[in-house]
Amino acid sequence: MAGRETNPNFMNGVPELLILGLLRQEEMYGYEIVHAIRSRTDEVIAVGEGVVYPVLHGLEREGALRARRRTVNGRSRIYYSVTAAGSRRLADLSATWTDLTSAIQKMLTGGHHAKIL
Amino acid sequence: MPKFFKELRERLLKAGVAPRHVRRYLNELRDHFADLKAEEQRAGRGAADAESAALGRLGGMDDLFKAMVEQRQLQSWCVRAPWVLFGVTPLALLAAAWFVALFILWSGWQMFLPGADTPFGVRPGPHRLFELANIYFQVGRMIYFFAPIVIGWGVAILAARQRLRAVWPGVGFVLIALAGATLQVHVRRPDVPGGAGHVSMGFASGPAVQVVSADLVHALVFISIMVTPYLIWRVQRVSRID
Repeated sequence: MAGRETNPNFMNGVPELLILGLLRQEEMYGYEIVHAIRSRTDEVIAVGEGVVYPVLHGLEREGALRARRRTVNGRSRIYYSVTAAGSRRLADLSATWTDLTSAIQKMLTGGHHAKIL
Repeated sequence: MPKFFKELRERLLKAGVAPRHVRRYLNELRDHFADLKAEEQRAGRGAADAESAALGRLGGMDDLFKAMVEQRQLQSWCVRAPWVLFGVTPLALLAAAWFVALFILWSGWQMFLPGADTPFGVRPGPHRLFELANIYFQVGRMIYFFAPIVIGWGVAILAARQRLRAVWPGVGFVLIALAGATLQVHVRRPDVPGGAGHVSMGFASGPAVQVVSADLVHALVFISIMVTPYLIWRVQRVSRID
């Protein structure tokens, strides 16, 4: 039993994964992040727009993101980008998520059931 | 809209989210809201409709509140470790301030009153109010007397910013007042003529009724000076809510 990880909540870490994945490519501010998530997931994942900020602040606090203020078109924005620690976190989250989805896929397609039989 | 953000701010502060994170969160939400409203208006909605739609997209009060409170690392130290902020830190700051005051007293004694039996005496001969020696000693004296009050006001500001209940700030006020009221400076004459004297600090002790009552009066004076701005803030806040 020791060392076995559990998945108490399937959505755990998903917002972090999406945000880190997006910001790895380019720095963005909150409004851009929400819209990018929506458009790049064909609107399958639509996060509550305001709740993205606590996730961003939490990641920044953990050192996974860095924030800087930039003035664009006369408006001051806080842009976020991924740090080296954030890249490592993204790799871990991606691996976990890939394992999880392949396990679920296997269940849904009956792979496990077939093996038992 | 200001009311929505104001209510969210109050809820977050009371829940223990650090004021700087609350401020930044609300600034970003306001910017996001402005972007959403502009987007809705570009899509052909009127100002009122656009505002309503933008608010709906931004998220409900409970969702926005819960998302922030769940980030435990954004909690204020006032809530995570109130005993450090309101117990240990004020006393440590007091000790540091008094150390500085004591050093000023001792070094002033050595520099300006060499050979005198005590640094509290008056140098013989004419002296002016703004001469260096006088200013030097007065700086030390001000640090000694005002440190408890300034630190107490710091506690009050912390408590007010975080919308804290009065318990922990009250503990801080009492500790600072007791320390401030019972502290005494002791001076020892030089052992040999022309040698360096000693200064030290200690807390007044003894069963004498006069000592206890004098300390109590001092403590009450400190508390009343420290607490007054905090009480004014609380009364104003209650009347605003009413």
